Amino acid sequence: MSKSVISNETELSILKDITFDVVAGETVAIVGTSGAGKSTLMALLAGLDIVSSGEIELLGQPLSQLNDEQRAQIRSESIGFVFQSFLLIPSLSAVENVTLPAVLRGEGEDIDKAKKLLDSVGLTGRETHLPAQLSGGEQQRVALARAFMTQPKILFADEPTGNLDEHTAENIIELLFEMNRDHGTTLVLITHDSNLAKRCDRTLSIHAGQLQEV
Amino acid sequence: MDKHRITSGRKMVIRWSWREIWQGQLWPVMVALTLIIACVVALSALAIRVEKVMTDHGRSMIAADLVFSSANPTPELILTKAEQLSLTTSEQIRFQTMAFSDSSMQLVSVKAVQSNYPLRGELILMGSNALSKGSLQPGELWIAERLFSLLGIKIGDQLAIGDLTLKVSGKIASEPELTYNPFRTMPSVFIHQADLGKTGAVQLGSRVQYRTFFKGGESELKLLQKVHPLQAGERWISEGNQGRTADLIIKAKQYLSLTILMVILMAAVTLVLTCQHYADSRTNTVAMLKSMGAGRRWLRQWLLSQVGLMFAAAIILGSLIGLGLEALLRLPLAGILPDQLPGYGWQPFVFGSAVALLIGLPALGIPLIRLLDTSAIAVLQAQTVKPSKKGLWLIAVPVIAFLLIYGANTLVWMVFGGLIALFVVLASASYVLLHLLSKAKWGPAMSLALSRIKRSAKSSMMQLAALSGSLMLVAVIWLVRTDLLSDWQKTLPADAPNVFAINIAPTEQQAYLKLLDDNQIQRSLAYPIIRGRLKEINGKNAKQSADNGNDHINALHRELNFTWVTELPDDNPVVAGQWTDQEGVSIEQSLAADLDIKIGDRLGFVVNSQAFSVPVNSIRKVEWQSMKPNFYLIFTPDVVKDLPATWLVSFRINDQKLPFLNQLGRDYPTVSLLDLRSMGGKLQTILGQITWSLTVLAGVGVLSGLLLIFTLLRLSLNQRQREITLYRTLGASRKRISQTLWSEYGVMAIAAGFVAVAGAESIVFSLLKWGFKLDPSLHPLMWFTLPFLALLVVFASLMSVIKGLLKPLK
Repeated sequence: MSKSVISNETELSILKDITFDVVAGETVAIVGTSGAGKSTLMALLAGLDIVSSGEIELLGQPLSQLNDEQRAQIRSESIGFVFQSFLLIPSLSAVENVTLPAVLRGEGEDIDKAKKLLDSVGLTGRETHLPAQLSGGEQQRVALARAFMTQPKILFADEPTGNLDEHTAENIIELLFEMNRDHGTTLVLITHDSNLAKRCDRTLSIHAGQLQEV
Repeated sequence: MDKHRITSGRKMVIRWSWREIWQGQLWPVMVALTLIIACVVALSALAIRVEKVMTDHGRSMIAADLVFSSANPTPELILTKAEQLSLTTSEQIRFQTMAFSDSSMQLVSVKAVQSNYPLRGELILMGSNALSKGSLQPGELWIAERLFSLLGIKIGDQLAIGDLTLKVSGKIASEPELTYNPFRTMPSVFIHQADLGKTGAVQLGSRVQYRTFFKGGESELKLLQKVHPLQAGERWISEGNQGRTADLIIKAKQYLSLTILMVILMAAVTLVLTCQHYADSRTNTVAMLKSMGAGRRWLRQWLLSQVGLMFAAAIILGSLIGLGLEALLRLPLAGILPDQLPGYGWQPFVFGSAVALLIGLPALGIPLIRLLDTSAIAVLQAQTVKPSKKGLWLIAVPVIAFLLIYGANTLVWMVFGGLIALFVVLASASYVLLHLLSKAKWGPAMSLALSRIKRSAKSSMMQLAALSGSLMLVAVIWLVRTDLLSDWQKTLPADAPNVFAINIAPTEQQAYLKLLDDNQIQRSLAYPIIRGRLKEINGKNAKQSADNGNDHINALHRELNFTWVTELPDDNPVVAGQWTDQEGVSIEQSLAADLDIKIGDRLGFVVNSQAFSVPVNSIRKVEWQSMKPNFYLIFTPDVVKDLPATWLVSFRINDQKLPFLNQLGRDYPTVSLLDLRSMGGKLQTILGQITWSLTVLAGVGVLSGLLLIFTLLRLSLNQRQREITLYRTLGASRKRISQTLWSEYGVMAIAAGFVAVAGAESIVFSLLKWGFKLDPSLHPLMWFTLPFLALLVVFASLMSVIKGLLKPLK
């Protein structure tokens, strides 16, 4: 598949004829310099955007043939996200943020499950705290718990430690891999940290729109 | 699936929405909405009350809610319909006749009324035991105070009205139907209608006026007026078309609706900006929710529940604050409003909520519809949003409502059209002004500020337009009030004459005036009065001279009062032609227009069977509302000087000079003294009350405007938080940032201030000239006060947030 965008009336090719497979249960790191197209690739893989040519098959579904709503449906049922900037809702408590994906799926609040997930990320007793009352590391733990709320088949993590100090980042990564193992999730991790990438089963590197297996 | 969990999910969404309103990004929108509702509720509730009070005053002057006046008995159709509509009615027959005492006689105006007269207003009758009463019984005869001296009688003496002789029951201390016309006001005599037949004064062909008074609900009164098409000599009299107060009341009501409209417009500006800001701040959240799989339907419900909840909360809170505000506003009006306050019903609340909904629908709807289109990818990468036309149709909702409500109100259209035109002109003007400023050499803070304004041209222009627009409306509210009041004070000054002396014989004139002057009585010029008719225009019968005939013009059917002067009175400005000192007549402009009379036309008159003609030398404007002698036709002395005339003079009497007035009456028994003190006093009271009401309302309008500007500025400053944090991170000192902010907002305030004055002057000019039909003038003081006021609001807004903005960095 390829992806290009129109910028200032000129076509800019971001990803050129990329082909690869990720199998269930795998952990894959996508590395590359800033602006290489890592986030674009992740957006395409998760169905947040569509390819310019070619096809992406996600969990057996051809994404380019699905409309916005159908792609949202897949995300809601099978995909979890962890973002660099946590993206918690400031006016919801930790436990409410965690249970949000269940509410979005129309399943309603599952406080018990959310609490268990918060326990598993080491935030026992912090359930009712608002994001503003939590440190950066704690907020990313909440985001991790949220990502596992709906038992996703695939977890996309976009520079999950980019906004954290080294020590906290290490803790979060440990937690991420541990939870991924426990839940049997496929992990696609975007990072520019080669040490972090080494922890994954495979590493794919993007450079000038081309993908290489490292 | 667990039903309980689904319900709990909905509850969470509501909880979330609730927190967004009070702590989150919806808070500024909520504040703006609440403010709008509170202001509209308070203003319209107060306006309804003030309007009711003014209407009541007006109605007390006509003794009813509605009066049918005719030269013939009121048609049966009207009376039957009134009965069907359950209206209270009362009848009056009035005529002029001679009243005879043992020693004297006098022309009087007899009013034969029923016991329930008046349906509105106050009739105070004072009998011999000094007790007052408010209604009249058969067999009673009540007379105006001055008749006692004119007829040389006292309470209990006999007085004959036609064939009816009755004992005088007492004096009329106060009566509702006061008319202001020195030539028509004759001393009143009240008798009961049951005694009318016995006077024998009302015969076939006698000049009698029949009046039927009605009291009841507005819609019933409207229905009643439709039942009978008016014939010649018939008319409906209501508080809006009768007398000196009608003009005051109509203008005051126009002003009320204008003020409310201005506040709504200002509020709309603020609401649009806060809503835009809210939608912008939600982009990331919506993208994040979409990335987690939220569908459009879910997002729509989520946004609707937030907005719905916010509207409900704003309506409740706004109405409550509005109620409190109205009570607060009433404090200065305590002396004016009656003890038993007229209620305002549901109208203000419905109006306040409707205004908020109508403005809120496009203000929030358009950015929210576009927000739903936010691409999920925005969660990873910032997107440039293409300008979209989606949702623009929502603007039609308030526009159509506006058309339906204000469709026929020219004043409102004037403001609205003016605003749109001005907005374009002013935005360009302020842009040029800022551009010129940035060319000059400035210190670092000012340069930074100017470059920021220029850099973000679109948002700066929006802000500038909102700021100058709001300031302009604030200025319009205040200036129109000031100009209206000064016009009223001019036509009815506190020292307006309150007594007219008519029928002064030429031989007595010099002595009479000398007596007034010797007693330091402030008086008008003395005018000779000659009664005559206008018969011909350019040799043709005046009634037929115009193509479609002039037969309907009242002035051709009665004797007019002519006068002659060597120079026209100062308050009668000539609008066409030129006053000459001989062989000419000056005509009042409305009569000239009605009869299509132009300068140079030759008018033919008949005075005491003597016919003469004279060319029109000038057309004059006459302020009929002023309590001064006014004339349709003024001749040069040579034309009518030798015709028999009596003289008229008006003067002002205060309470200390009352004995002098009585003495004057006795010394000159043939001179008729028209005492208009109670009439003038009533007018002054009403004027005072309206002045107060308008001042308080204008004050509220201005205050709410300033409050909205304050909110607007705070919002704009809060949006700058991130940028300021960045400056701080890059090492800018607090002093530098604070100076830059002061410079940026200061420049904007002054630019907006000047632009607003220019706009306000042009709107006020058009409003006064074409809306209120007054003479417009410039307001030099405003050119200083408004920019200063703008600076003051900016100062207050900056002071309230600057501490937060300059918080130490974490």
